[in-house]
This record gives sequence, structure tokens and C-alpha cells, in this order.
Amino acid sequence: MSHMPRGTPGLRGQQRVVLPGVRHTVAVASGKGGVGKSTVAANLALALAALHHRVGLLDADIYGPSIPIMFGLDTVDVATTRFPLEKFGIKLMSMGFIVQPDQAVIWRGPMVHKAVSQFLTEIPWGELDYLVIDLPPGTGDAQLTVTQTAPLTGAVIVTTPQDVSLIDARKGLRMFQQVHVPVLGIIENMSYFVCDQCGKRHDIFRHGGGERCAQELGVPFLGSLPLDPLVSIQGDQGIPIVQSHPDSPSGQAYRLLAQTVAHSLDEISKNLSQLPALE
Amino acid sequence: MRPVKLRRQGEDQLVIEWSDGHVSVYHWRTLRAACPCATCREEREKPVDPLRVLSAQEVAALAAGPPRALSMTPVGHYAYQIHWSDGHATGIYTFETLRNLCECDACRRLREQAR
Repeated sequence: MSHMPRGTPGLRGQQRVVLPGVRHTVAVASGKGGVGKSTVAANLALALAALHHRVGLLDADIYGPSIPIMFGLDTVDVATTRFPLEKFGIKLMSMGFIVQPDQAVIWRGPMVHKAVSQFLTEIPWGELDYLVIDLPPGTGDAQLTVTQTAPLTGAVIVTTPQDVSLIDARKGLRMFQQVHVPVLGIIENMSYFVCDQCGKRHDIFRHGGGERCAQELGVPFLGSLPLDPLVSIQGDQGIPIVQSHPDSPSGQAYRLLAQTVAHSLDEISKNLSQLPALE
Repeated sequence: MRPVKLRRQGEDQLVIEWSDGHVSVYHWRTLRAACPCATCREEREKPVDPLRVLSAQEVAALAAGPPRALSMTPVGHYAYQIHWSDGHATGIYTFETLRNLCECDACRRLREQAR
């Protein structure tokens, strides 16, 4: 990571101001993989940008970055490229811009910590209304680094309706509660499928699990996102659905979600004062 | 429950004012002795070796006197990191840990009653 732009050197005994120009930082997390978390993070970021906000998207999944594919971007020459990159009006940073897609990142925890810390502290994010952080699944090194380093305004937990996903969502939620990061709520992805032939709604992975989970854990239920083949097709083509089909049912669901998330972040930040330091 | 003010009291004490109105007092040496970092925890769990020979660094550290707290900075929304004069700074003191270590008279009494 020595090729990354160098920022202010760490000063021992002084707190470094992290993301000074960012108004709200929101983490998108899930207890387990495969729930569409990166898809949700990418489309949420685009939906916030569509509401005329300045938005950044940080891919904190060091081992399996997927943001570059979703935005139709590839590895870049780090010697000549200035990070963050920009596409569809969003500032982007991902390990996938640095490491070739077929190259495995085989790192122990401290290296993951270093990479995520550098993404947060040494990338000139500039003035942003929202920085969306796409976390890897689980409750490991990247999550801990983000919660310790970034001034998170809040976090959203993505789940699918099955019990196995909900059990892990609870673990993710507990993690944020333990580190005093406000949980904005739970998003149920792949919630239902609307048949394009008959228009009937099918609850493929059952129904209402996310809402029940939110009720049980005492956090808001932020909404359901449909299982839409177009979402994955657009993701693979490098133009997320909010960008390519903003008026589709999925595009509209994301716009509604972005409004809810933006409102929650505004409400939470009213009560989130900065902690005092002792010099 | 979160700290609203931190201040030094004399040479050897820290005072934390909490959002619930409680005022905690600590000796810095108490906080250092309870450092929650993995290395310090492991050291504390080892049985005492009366025949242990101190290393040159340990002798130098003892000669320099007890380490002083240079600063105390927030970690995320849930903890503090203390930077000590001997370079140690890996301990993350959560709010819960700090409340449990409070040395004010009321907290001491509560702990004694609980024993």
C-alpha cells in the first residue's frame, strides 16, 4: 500500500481528524455473505446522489471487492491515478482498483486494518454529504477498524427473509450496539419477486423475517427490496439499476430507501455529539 | 451513558464527567495497571515469577518512574485510547471498562458491598 497517496502522518497523542469534510458516514453491513449487501450499498449510494447529495462509496471488502464490477471499472495504474475515482457522480474507492480481479488478497488481519485505515484517512474524500461504506460480511477486522476509525453516523443491516440470514443479522446488529454505533435499521433484500407476466407477488424466501427481526431487536425496519433479475444483470454490466432504470420497481424502492436513510441519519446526528478528548 | 468532559486533577488523577451526571475519579496508575490490551492482559494472567530477571528496557522504564498519560483520545463512539509516555498506546478502554474502574467513594463502596 506504499503507493497510496500519503496524508498527514499519524501524530502520537493527538487524534487525527478522520473524514473532516464528510457530513454523514453510513456503514452497510450484513451478518453473512450473499445477501446482496454490495448491491444495496451501490444502489443506495446512487439513490442518495439522485436526491442531489454529494456521495462517496468506500468498498471495505478487502478480500472480495465487488464495487469495481458494479460500476464498470477495473484495476488502474496507481502511479498515475488519483483516488478516489469518480463514476455516475459518486466518489469511489476499492481494493479492486489496486489488485487485479484474478489476484487473491491473502492478508492477515493487521494488513486489512492498515488498508481500511488508509482508505479512510489518506484518501482525499473532500466535501461529501454521505459516505457509504460497504463492509464485508461478518464481524471481523474490517468492521472493527471502520467502527474504531471512522466517525460513523449509523449503520444499516442487510438481510434476506430466511432464518439463517436473520440469525447472522442479529450478530451484526449486536456488534454495532457493542461499539455504540447507532443502527438505523434492517433492510430486507430479495424480499419478494413480482412476476413480469402475471404481476403477482411471490415471497420466494418466505415473508416478513426482516420486519420480525427488527421488531424483536428493537430497531426500525427500513424497507423491503424486491428480488429482481434486472438488479443483478445491471450490476454485472457495470450500471447499477438505480442508474440504468431509475423508474423501475427496484429503482423506486431504492429511492424510497435513500429518503428513509437520509432522514434517519439527519435525526441521529442531532443527538450525536463529539466525544471530548484530553490533551 | 458517555463522557461529556475529561480533565486532569493534579499530577496523578483523571476526572471524567458522564452524561448521566456521575463524576468518576481515577489514578492514572490504576488505569495503566488495568490496561485492556492483549499484551497487558496476558502479562497479568501469568503466574508471578519471583526469580524473573528484568530486561534492560524494564530497568530503564522503572528508572524513568511511572509512565505519564500524554493524552486520551476517543475511539469510535465507544471507547478511549490512552497514549502513555513510555510509548504504550494499544489499550482501548470502553466506556463500560472506565465506569467499572471508577475510584470515586460511591463506586468503591458499591464494589465492596458486592464482594
